[in-house]
Amino acid sequence: MPASTDPPAVVALLGNPNSGKTTLFNALTGLNRKVGNYSGVTVEVQEGTAFTPHGKKLRIIDLPGCYSLRADLPDERVALDALHGRISGLPVPDLIVCVVDASNLERHLCLVLEVIELGMPVVLALNMVDVAERSGLRLDPVKLSEELRVTVVPMQADARKGVVELRQALRTPWPAVVTPAWRSDGTDLGTERREFIQRLCMLAARRPDAGQLTASDAIDRWLLHPVWGWVAFIIVMFAVFWSIFSFAGIPMGWIESLQGLVAEFIRSGMPDGDLRSLIVDGVIGGVGGVLVFLPQIILLFFFIGLLESSGYMARAAFLMDGVMSRAGLSGKAFLPLFSSYACAIPGVMATRTIHSAKERLVTLFVAPWMSCSARLPVYFLIVPLLLHEREGTWKQAVVLFVIYALGTLSAFVVARVLRGRLGPDSGVGHHFLLELPPYRAPQWGYILRHVHERARAFVVKAGTLILGLSILLWALSTYPKSAAAADADAFAHSAMGRIGAVIEPVVEPLGFDGRTGTAILTSFAAREVFNSSLAVLFRAEEGNSEEETRDTLREKISAATWPDGRPLFTPLTLISLLVVYIYALQCLPTSAVVAREAGSWKWAAGQFAFMSLFAYLAALVVYQGGRLLGF
Amino acid sequence: MQPMQSHAQAVDLELDSAMTLSQVGVGCDVRIRLLQGPSCERLRDLGFCEELRIRKLSSGPNLVCAICGTRMAISRELADQVYVEAVA
Repeated sequence: MPASTDPPAVVALLGNPNSGKTTLFNALTGLNRKVGNYSGVTVEVQEGTAFTPHGKKLRIIDLPGCYSLRADLPDERVALDALHGRISGLPVPDLIVCVVDASNLERHLCLVLEVIELGMPVVLALNMVDVAERSGLRLDPVKLSEELRVTVVPMQADARKGVVELRQALRTPWPAVVTPAWRSDGTDLGTERREFIQRLCMLAARRPDAGQLTASDAIDRWLLHPVWGWVAFIIVMFAVFWSIFSFAGIPMGWIESLQGLVAEFIRSGMPDGDLRSLIVDGVIGGVGGVLVFLPQIILLFFFIGLLESSGYMARAAFLMDGVMSRAGLSGKAFLPLFSSYACAIPGVMATRTIHSAKERLVTLFVAPWMSCSARLPVYFLIVPLLLHEREGTWKQAVVLFVIYALGTLSAFVVARVLRGRLGPDSGVGHHFLLELPPYRAPQWGYILRHVHERARAFVVKAGTLILGLSILLWALSTYPKSAAAADADAFAHSAMGRIGAVIEPVVEPLGFDGRTGTAILTSFAAREVFNSSLAVLFRAEEGNSEEETRDTLREKISAATWPDGRPLFTPLTLISLLVVYIYALQCLPTSAVVAREAGSWKWAAGQFAFMSLFAYLAALVVYQGGRLLGF
Repeated sequence: MQPMQSHAQAVDLELDSAMTLSQVGVGCDVRIRLLQGPSCERLRDLGFCEELRIRKLSSGPNLVCAICGTRMAISRELADQVYVEAVA
C-alpha cells in the first residue's frame, strides 16, 4: 500500500515550561525521558514514535518549553526554528499539539494564540485537568474549543487519562487552519490577545477565588523565610551529603567482597602468568575499583531527583538568588551549578534556560568546579588517609564539606571576575523570574528511571573507557619486562616507569613522585581512573573482603617512600593532591559539551587551560607554602 | 464602553502616581493596571497581564506572588515595572 511508504507525519509538542509536555511525550511514545519539576528540563529537541489508533506511524517531536515565540531565549529560538522547519532533518510539522496546564490557562493560552496565528493546524491538549478541578476551577472544554476554533482534548498525562482521545485527534485529515478569532485590524495585537484570553477564561475556566492560599503557600512561608528558609536549606543539603556518604557504605562493601571473591576465584583457578596478572590486576582491579562508587552515584542522583520532583529545587534557586548575585549570577544559575555536583555535563546543558548570554557563558565556565561525582572516588581514597582513620566518620564528612565549599567559593570568585570583565548585559538589568511549582509527592517512577539512566551511563563508561585505560596502563607498567626480581626495579624499567621519570620534575614541586604524576596524567580523560591507576602503579592487590581492597591501596600508598626514604604521602602532599583534583578540568566529555554550548572551541580550550594551570599553581602554592611554614 | 472606561481609569491612575508591585504590602490582593519598563513583554509572557488579579505572598530582594493559581518569584527590578491598584 502506498500509505506505508509515505514518510510518517510529524507532530510537534509545544507548551510552556511545567505544562507537562514531556510527561505527555512519554505517554505518547513510551520512551523514557527526563521530566523535572522545574522550568527548562527539555533543552534539546527530542524525538519519538507513536501510532494513531489506526496504526499509522507518527514522528513526535518534543520542543523545548517556552513562554512565547518571540525567540529571545535559546529555547524559544529552537522551538521557533523547529516550527518553521529550519532545523536540518526535521521537516515542517504537519500538526502542532499545544500542551497547556488547565489550572493556568490565563498564562498558557498566550503561546497557543501565537501558534494559531502562525497558520498551522493545532490541537490543544488541556493537561492537568485534575489539578485544575481540585483547585476549584470550572473548566468548559467545549466552550474553549468553540472560541479558539481548534480541537481541545482534556487530559491528565501523568495518569495516562485522555491519551487515547489525543491519539484519535492526531490523524489525517489534519484539522483545518483557523483564522484567529481575536484579530481585528487597527488595535494592538498584544492587547487583542490579552482581551481575548480574559474573555475566554471568564467563559471556559472560571476561578472561584483567585487569592486562595494553598498548602504549598503555608510550607513556603517557612521554607522561603529569610532565616528559617536558610536553616532548612542547609539542613536539606547537609542531610543529602551525609546520607550519600553513610548509606553508600553498605552496598559498597558488597561490591568489594564480590570483587574480592572473583579475583580469588581466578587466582586459584589459573596458573601464574601474564594473563592472570592482566585479568586480576588490570581488569578486575581497574573496573572493580570504579564500580564500587556506583552506590554513591545512585544515591546522589536519587536525591537530586527527589528535590527536583518534589518542587524544592525551585525554592533552593529562589533562596540562592541573593548569594548568586554576589557572584554576578542570578538564581537561575543555581540549578545548572547544583546539577554539576553530580556531573558537569547535564549542568552545562541546563544553562540554556539562563536569559543573559554572558551569564550563560560564565555559568558554564565555572560549572566544572562544582565537585562532580567523578571526583568522589579520589576524595574517598585520600580523605581517610589524611585523617589516619577508617572510612565513614563525621570528621571525613566535614573535610568533604570543606572540599565542596572550596571548589564552590573559587567558582563564585572566578564567576564574579569574569562577569565583570564581560561587561554588563545590553538592555535590562538583573532579572529574576522563576515559577515555583506546587509541592507534590515525589514521582517515584520518574526518580527511579532517572537514577537508572545515570547509573547505566556510569557503568557503561566504566565498562568501556576505563576498562580500556586500565588494560593500557597495566600493559605500560608491565612491559617491557626486565630481569630484575624486585617489583620496584621491574616498574622502573617499564614504559610507565619511564613516563613517570620524565614528568617527575614537573610534579615534584607539588610534592608528587612520578607514579602519582602518571596517575594524575591518566585521569585527564576521566577522573575516576586515578584510583585504578594508583592501584596498578603501586601494585595493590585485590582484597578478599569488604574494605580490604581500598585499605590495601591505602596501606601501599602510606608505605610508599621517596628513594631517600622519606614518606611519599605526607599530610601536605595529600592536601596538595586534593587541591589538584578540586581544580583540574579532567574530563574530555565536559570540554566537548562546553564547546558546543558556548558555540566556540576557544571558550572550552581557554577553560581547560585556565583550570589546569590554576590547579597546578594552587597545588604549588599549597605545597611550597606549607613547607615554608614547616609542615 | 468597557475599554473606554478602563483607559480612563489607567490615565487617572498614572496621574495619581500608582503603586508598583514591590511597594504593596505582603498579603495584599491587587489588580495589574499597567506594565511599564524594559521587561514588560517578558512579564506579559509569564502572565503578568493587565487586569489580572494577583496576591503578593512575600517581599524581599525577590518577591513571590500568586497569579492565576501559580506562584511566581520575580526580582524587585521586575516588580517595579508592574503598576497595580488595590482590589476593593
